[in-house]
Amino acid sequence: MSQLCGLPGRLSVLLLTAVFAATALTSALAEDPPAVPTGLPAVGWPADNPPTAAKISLGQQLYFDPRLSSDDTISCASCHDPAKGWSNGEAFAKGVGGALGGRSAPTIINSAYFRQQFWDGRAKTLEDQALGPIQAGVEMNMKLENLIQKLNKIEGYKSQFKAVFGSEASAPNVAKAIAAYERTVLSGNAPYDSFKAGDKDALSEVAERGRKVFFGKGHCSACHVGAALTDNSYHNVGVGMDKKEPDVGRFAVSKLEGDTGAFKTPGLRDIARSAPYMHDGSLKTLEDVVEHYAKGGIANEYLDEEIFKLKLTDQDKKDLITFLKEGLASREYPMHKAPKLPK
Amino acid sequence: MLKSRITTVLSSLALVSAFALNASAADHKVVAKGLDNPTGLAIQPGTGHVFIASHAGVLRLDPKSGKVTTEIGGYPDPTDVYGKGPKYAIGPLGLAFLDADHLVVGCGSRADGEELVRVFKVGAEPKEQKESDAVKTFGPITASDLSAKGEGNFYGVAIIDGAIYVTCNGDDTKGWVAKATSKDGKWGKLKLAIATKEATEVDAPGPIAASKNGKAIIVGQIGEVTVEGDSLLTFYSPAGKLQRKLTTTLNDIAGIAYSKDGKLYATDFSWVDATKGALYQLTPGNKESTEAKAKKILDLDKPTAIAFGEDGTAYIAVFGTVGDDGKPAGSIIAVSGL
Repeated sequence: MSQLCGLPGRLSVLLLTAVFAATALTSALAEDPPAVPTGLPAVGWPADNPPTAAKISLGQQLYFDPRLSSDDTISCASCHDPAKGWSNGEAFAKGVGGALGGRSAPTIINSAYFRQQFWDGRAKTLEDQALGPIQAGVEMNMKLENLIQKLNKIEGYKSQFKAVFGSEASAPNVAKAIAAYERTVLSGNAPYDSFKAGDKDALSEVAERGRKVFFGKGHCSACHVGAALTDNSYHNVGVGMDKKEPDVGRFAVSKLEGDTGAFKTPGLRDIARSAPYMHDGSLKTLEDVVEHYAKGGIANEYLDEEIFKLKLTDQDKKDLITFLKEGLASREYPMHKAPKLPK
Repeated sequence: MLKSRITTVLSSLALVSAFALNASAADHKVVAKGLDNPTGLAIQPGTGHVFIASHAGVLRLDPKSGKVTTEIGGYPDPTDVYGKGPKYAIGPLGLAFLDADHLVVGCGSRADGEELVRVFKVGAEPKEQKESDAVKTFGPITASDLSAKGEGNFYGVAIIDGAIYVTCNGDDTKGWVAKATSKDGKWGKLKLAIATKEATEVDAPGPIAASKNGKAIIVGQIGEVTVEGDSLLTFYSPAGKLQRKLTTTLNDIAGIAYSKDGKLYATDFSWVDATKGALYQLTPGNKESTEAKAKKILDLDKPTAIAFGEDGTAYIAVFGTVGDDGKPAGSIIAVSGL
């Protein structure tokens, strides 16, 4: 302290301010991560973006705020709506000016556990992902410099960014806040989790038969595995491959020929809420999805070796769908509401 | 008959500087090259000969002379192809010696449900034989409620407490380890024994070995080839119960073996990024640990199996990268000082 007192007054004040800020930040860093629902593992929070309640709250406000788009009409929640399984209920989402995207809006549910984001995995983290749709012309169509100026003119945001990050809004911190919030959108505590934990009566008789189909002759667990029911990998299941110009999917990122037409395996928690299905939203119901896989997908040069004609009876299909609808439905679905937005 | 492009060829025994990035303590050299996608390795007790499973057959390398000869040929051609692009033509995969004269070969030449595990009588001297000359054949394990397509791609073979264990990559919902035991000199059927994917929720059992005490079963769970860092090191009891499941940070664990002094080494093929292929030392830690610490020993270009000779030399099979000439680029690297 004596050394500090020897410094010129202004510098001392600056240093003390820094010390207090660091102390506040350390205190913030010390917060326990939010609890996760039964059946899910701990969320892996990045070292450079630890969770705090204030940051998650800020992220939630940003997520639901249409002012993040160029014409103040589209928020993240517009296309990833909690009431629609954190997707949007349409094959393609409408962005600013009614522009249509080329792929279905993937659910945010359990994206905390995804090793890569987007249908083609082009973002490795939620932080990497968060700014993409904001800037995309067919989505929120917002230039980052404009967004940051806009946010810093909203006193309620400006003060929150200062409290959470120690500075005004910036693109990296917008990404961190939104990503932090998205890591709290979790679905667990389903009858399937209780069953796994030892409660053999947790699933109805039909759903239990469906579980056996899922992990057996339905071959679903070849790709839908683990707590989030995804292998985090990419598979060509034939969807869209009969089009004149199929979406090349993961190939655009990996440049591996074998990834042509391959898309990320989606998680299946609360899957009944997020119709329509597949990367192009072309299958309207879970019944359609099961039929697609039962017939062995759509043949093409790059069809995944795990996709082949299944020997499922009509009863097997019904049971499987019941398992998907009932067995994977969370008892504490994250039906988040839009928070009060700052002015 | 083995294809001529595979037959011979060995090396100059020259040090390979391209692989030396992390080789602080380990001296290494190429002892055979020009091999076509070498996968499994087994060291013959007594002779120290290195048996190599490759696309078109099983080869024998005499480390003293450096000579490579065909030991078992006559596999189906064309054979199975693995991978989504890059794709690799594969043939025999896993190898293990039952005793000095009997080599167990797990195959990957055929379609799932048609694959075989065969036992061959091999002598101290090279002698070519055909696949059909096997003295014992296990399988096929055909489609059933336990395996939708039937089993195949028998990547790893190990002899543990007198039983034959084979990792299977047919049914991706189960990820079976199959087991055959003998009683009064008579072998029983190869049966599906451990559903590794159900136990670990991670895909693809690959390398397999006995634990240090020779009782437990160690399985490297490869994981998804497109996913980084998801390979596991797992330990099962002789009864097949999962005892430990350790993360490794490896992308695609392809080989595991203990050195003479009990250190565990593993190779990482690293499909997702071939520049990260390497030899690692894995330290499982205490019983509470959930991670096997991985220390990189040597950068390698798509390594597969590893096996230790009686003199402590580690042999590692490496796919390498095929050049514009299209010639096979596989090799065997000998590493000393581990």
